[in-house]
Parts: sequence; C-alpha cells; structure tokens
Amino acid sequence: MEQLIEELKIKIIETLGLIQLSPDKLDPDSQLVGGEMGIDSIDVLELVMMIERDYAVQIDSRELGEKVFATLRSLAQFIHENRPR
Amino acid sequence: MRVFITGTGIISPLGNGKALTAEAVKSGVSGITPLTLFKTPSAPLPVGEISFTHDDSVPRTHSLALAAALQATAGLEGPLDAVVIGTTTGGMAVSEELIRRADFNPARYLLHSAGSVSEYVAGRLNCRGPVITVCTACSSGSVAVKIALELLRSGKGRTVLAGGADCLCRLTYHGFNSLQLIDPEGARPFDINRKGMSVAEAAAMVVLSAADGTPRGAACELLEVGLSCDAYHPSAPHPEGRGAFEAMQSALAGAGVSPKQIDFVHLHGTGTIDNDLSEAKALKKIFPAGAPSVSSTKGAFGHSLAASGVAGLIVTSMAMEEGFVPATRCAAPDPKLEIVPENRVIHKKVRAALTNSFGFGGNNASILSADLSAGISGLPQTKHPARTYPSAFSVIAASCSTGAGNKAKTMESIYAGKPCAGTRDIAEMSAGIPPPAARRLKRLARMTLGLAIDAVNDALRGERPGSVYFGTAWGAMSETYGFLSGLFKSQERFASPTDFIGSVHNAPAGHVASWFQATGPNITVSGGDCSFEQALYTAGLIAGDGDTLLVIGADEHHEPLSGAFDRSIGPWPADGGGALLLRKSGTVPAFPRIRVPFLRFCPENAKGDIPGLIAALGGVDVIRELFGAVLASVPACSRETGRGVVSAFMGASGLAVPVIDLREIFGQFATASAPAVAAATEFVARGELPPMGGDGLKQLHGRGILVIGTGNYLSAVEVLPPGGA
Repeated sequence: MEQLIEELKIKIIETLGLIQLSPDKLDPDSQLVGGEMGIDSIDVLELVMMIERDYAVQIDSRELGEKVFATLRSLAQFIHENRPR
Repeated sequence: MRVFITGTGIISPLGNGKALTAEAVKSGVSGITPLTLFKTPSAPLPVGEISFTHDDSVPRTHSLALAAALQATAGLEGPLDAVVIGTTTGGMAVSEELIRRADFNPARYLLHSAGSVSEYVAGRLNCRGPVITVCTACSSGSVAVKIALELLRSGKGRTVLAGGADCLCRLTYHGFNSLQLIDPEGARPFDINRKGMSVAEAAAMVVLSAADGTPRGAACELLEVGLSCDAYHPSAPHPEGRGAFEAMQSALAGAGVSPKQIDFVHLHGTGTIDNDLSEAKALKKIFPAGAPSVSSTKGAFGHSLAASGVAGLIVTSMAMEEGFVPATRCAAPDPKLEIVPENRVIHKKVRAALTNSFGFGGNNASILSADLSAGISGLPQTKHPARTYPSAFSVIAASCSTGAGNKAKTMESIYAGKPCAGTRDIAEMSAGIPPPAARRLKRLARMTLGLAIDAVNDALRGERPGSVYFGTAWGAMSETYGFLSGLFKSQERFASPTDFIGSVHNAPAGHVASWFQATGPNITVSGGDCSFEQALYTAGLIAGDGDTLLVIGADEHHEPLSGAFDRSIGPWPADGGGALLLRKSGTVPAFPRIRVPFLRFCPENAKGDIPGLIAALGGVDVIRELFGAVLASVPACSRETGRGVVSAFMGASGLAVPVIDLREIFGQFATASAPAVAAATEFVARGELPPMGGDGLKQLHGRGILVIGTGNYLSAVEVLPPGGA
C-alpha cells in the first residue's frame, strides 16, 4: 500500500502538471479534491483516465468517484482492491 | 423595424425538413440510437445520428449545413445579405482521420476550419456580404442568431441566414464520454435517473428578414437574444444558474417583455446532472411565481452542439404556428429541480417563448421569439436598445505578443527597423499568470489570457472588461492534437478530458472571462485570415453604448498542425496576437478610435468589391484626409491576388501614402493583423509611422492608419487619432 501511495503521488503530479508540488508535500490522509492543491473535477476525470490506463481499474460514475478520490489513501485502497491480479 | 423568421431549414435524427421534423416532434418519438457512423472499441453509445448519405467531396458538417441552408432559403426572392453560422468542429470528421494516419498534406485540409462551414454555404448561395462563423461551443447557433439580428438592426442588410451545424465525430463522441457526461440509456432531461446527454448531429438554419410589417411566409417574430457568460468554469455551468438567468433576463429586458407573458421555455436541458440543476435554478429566479410550460427536446434530437439552439428555435416556432408544447423524455421528474417539464405533447397557444442554449466556457444565449399575432395580444413590439451604428470604439489600451515579445519589445524591434515575426517562448508569454492558473493552459490559452492581462494592466484608470470578443482561425491546436494523438495511440480507449475541454475554440475567451469576471457577452468567432476582423466587427454589432470590452485575436503555431491547416505558413514559424481594451461611448477624446466599416466575403476576386470599400470608408476625399498609411494583410497563399487588390484600392482611392505588408513585419499567421492593429493604435497615438519595410520614420500629420485585410475576405479597419468626433 505505502509503495502504491508513493507511486500515485508521482503519477498525480505528472498527470496534472502540478510542477510546483513535491511528492512529500502530498499527505495521504488529506482531502485530495478541492483542497489546497487545487485539484478539481476536471483533474479527477484526468486521473480516472490515468488509473484505467495504468492500473486497469475503472471509476465510471461520479458517486463512486466522490468516495474513491476522498484522499490519496482511499484512492490507493480502491486501486489495490480492484486491480486485476 | 422588426425581425422575422421567414425561412427554416433543419436536418436532424428526427428527419430531413421542417414537415418531417414537426411530425416527429408532435408524435414524441426519439431519434437516439446506438452509433453506427464509425467504429468504436467498446459498445456504441446512444447518439443522435442522421440517416443521410452526404456528398463526400466535402465534410459531413458542410453537407448538412448546406442541406439546411437550401431548405431555409428555398422561398427567398431577393439576395442574401449575410451568413452567420455556428459550428464547433468544422471539418474535424475528415481531419481526425487524416491526423490518425499522420497525413499532414495541406491540400486535404481545405475544409478543416470552423470558418469553412459558413464560407462553403455562403459560396454555394452566392452571398458576398459579411460572413461570420461563431464558435461558442454548444450555444454557437443561438449566438449566430444574435449577430444576425444585430446585423439587421444596424441596417447592414435586410435578409440574413443564421444557424448552426455539427456532425458526429470522434473528437466530440469520445470527448463527452471522457467527461462521463453520456447517459448510457439516452438523454433523459430533468429526470431523477438522468446520467447525461446524447451527442448528436444536425444542421438548423433560419432566414431572418427585417420588415416593418409581417412579411409573407413569416413563421414568428424574433424579439431579442440575450447573451451572458458564467465567468465561472471551463466546462461546468454556474451552480446557481447565474449566467443562464442573466441570458434570459437580458432577452426579456431587451424586448421589454415581462416573464408573465412567456408561455413556453424550450430548455437547453441536456440531461446532465449539472446543466439541468443550474438551468432549473435560473428558471425559478426568472419565474418566482411558477414557470410556464417548459420542455427539452434533447431526449428526441440528442444534443447537436452548435445546431442545438437553432433546432430549439425552430421547434419553438412550430409550437407557435401549430399551438403545442413538445414533450420531454422524462419519465420521473427530479423533485430536487422543482421544475416539472411537460413529458407529453400538450396543445396550447404559445404567444411568446424563450429558447435556451448554453455552452462550454459559460457562453450562454436565450432567444426570445413571439407568435405573429402577439403584437395584438399585448406584447410590446420589438424595442431594442438605442445604439450607435456603425460602431466606433475608443482604444483605452492595447497589448500584443509577437516573436519579439510583448508590446514594448515589439515596438522596440519595429523602431529599430527589424521584423518581429517568430514564436515567443511560452513561459515569457504567460509571465503574468500564476502557475496554478497556467497549469492546464496550453499555448493558445496562455497567449490569449496573457494578452488580456497585459491590455488591462496597460489601462491607466483601471478599467476592466465586461465582455470579451475573440477571433482565432485555428483554435487550440495543442489541445486538439493532444486529445486526438492520445486517443489514437490508445486505440480509442483513452482520451484526455482536459484536452477535450481546452480544444473548443472558445476556451481561451472563457478563461479571460473567468479571470476578469466578465459576465457580459463572450463571443468567439473564426474566419481564417479574417478572424480578428470578424471579432472586432462582431463587437461593433453587439457591444452596448458605455460598455468596456476586450477584443482579442490570436493563433498559435503548432507542429505539425499549423502547416497542415494554414497554407500561408512558410518555413519560418510565427504566431502571436493582439488585444484591445475598448470603450464604446461615442468617443473619448484622449484615446485613438477604431472601427470596422467594411467586411465582405469575396473568395475569388475582391477587385470588384473595391468601389464598395471606398464608399464604406466615406469616399475618396475622406480617405485621403483620414489616412497617413496603409497596413495590408496579404496571406502568402494568395500573395499575388492580395497585392493586386491592395494596389487596385490605392489606385482607385488615389491615396498616396506608404503601404506596408504587415505580415512581413509580424509573420505569416492568420491573426497577424491583431498585433498589427494593436501596434497601429500606438503609432497613431504617437502620430508617426516607424521605419518598416526599409523606409525611415514618417509623420502621420494627424492622420490615422487603414488596415486592409485580403484573402477570402476583404476587410477594412480604421485606426484614427485621438480627439476626432
């Protein structure tokens, strides 16, 4: 899990062009969307695409997205539980 | 003077022609079926697809647009004075296949541009008046109707064709899907179980005629079109429906009609969670005592993007003529919306109605139309605001971006006798935009927002724009290419939602509006080498007296798309733009003045239009008195013709002043005239012409500069010194 979280930090920064942010500034338990990093609904959709592409995990509705993208940890948890083995 | 709809043309999933469409609308059938037009890797989503074999020598959108235009103009006796058509993707259905194959041969992209749709229609209908292409995403067609209405009010014509057209293509099909905005069961507007829209194709056109009394064959009267901008978000509507409310309010106020007199609202009603919520809130504010009959036909037509507003207007006019309100595909109304649309066809007299249309970038329009008998049943006759035509603006401030840099650096370069063509570093271009705001903006959006910020910062008295007019020939090529190359690389499995939202031509102007909270009209137009002039011309038609507005023209250089799209791009890449902060209030003595007295579509030989140009400028004596120099925009792809037109004008007007090909200074790109006009306002304010094209510094002796555009259009922009009347 911790390794997946670290990996996601880098992918999120890269996918969303958050160049001013360093991975250690991303707290796994802070609010991910609408928080200090300025991640909004469009970014969430961009991350949905990245997650489907890189982890083969689909997040195909807004209701599900709201739960999954609560924090970095909840996102990692969801990917961990749903990725094909 | 009043304006009437005297011709309609529509081709949609519900049928070809007004009669079949009316029959389908009244029987409440839906035209939404799974996509068959092109193959997709996963199960085809429901769309509004037209069963139509198009002439494949032109893109499908062009073919649909012409079919609707021919229907609308079938009974037309006199000439067509102007054509104003909205489209979002132009020839993209063909271009995206070429891009997939990495075929960048410019000969194959001749009908790629958004502007080519109205140019193709105008050419086929022999219209040589003003031709304008509107790109305000899903509200494009309705905004085109507003521009056409103001063209008529200004006296620039008696008969104008207006409408919208878009065909299904991969860009929009996958784009809306990447935003999770597609309802897998087809659009169910205002339904509690709604999950989104159904992308569709259509072309819908109306002929608008100016008349004092009701003309023969009129379908209804067009009273007003209200425009607004959310200035909130690139794709999501304002959560409280602020912009939707303002558009409806502006239409009602402009015509002096009270909400109580409205019998029907044709909703934008796409079926997305957010649109329907926002539109319902706006309706509750407009109609606090309870809404009249409301309905959305997007469960039947699907959402035909640029065509949808005018398709809605045509349904509304049928409702008035035949006395019914169409049905909404809404089995279980969402109680949260507190607005219940009609879910079956009801028979009812409709005397006055609003037709809503909202687009990405928060570009909103609401059309107010009235039944022909409405005049005698208590509605006021059209009372449009008193306004000065043709419109002169005071130039409060100007900015430009060129290969040399910002305006100061561009001026330095020009005064040193050096050209400033080139491509500017993106970081320098967006120096005024904080990194979090710039994060998602690619080259054109950054350039445009940077230009707007520079122009507003240049204003001495802190004036801020309330509305934004933007001209671009090619739009956001970086986002378009990013989206399509990602899509094709993944065998159409993954598409970037950020690039999709950014790919619409009006995205840059939407960012400008959000930055400045400019909630007035926000109009993006596209007309090849005449794009900036079209924006300035449109501003002259729409801006109200006393308004402060931004007019911007910009195009980006992109490898490989620029060379494929624009036949004037040579081996030396150049891009850039210009922005003008303008005030419309007669004139302010301290500032230079600007005006577009002439803009005409003339694709073959513009020499025949020179007498008209001279007359529009006030005749040869006025021309010789007013202008101390001519800047001519001569696109490289038609250099000989363009130069011929300019020298014929000089000969016919007897104007003996320096003539400079502005593209030799600013570079070969479609909106090169935008930085040139921005620079010209500075030259005129200083009263001198700097050394350009080998000549030394010359005095203007109190005269102005005439900027002539050649190519597919002939246009004239006057830049006059401060102090005149």
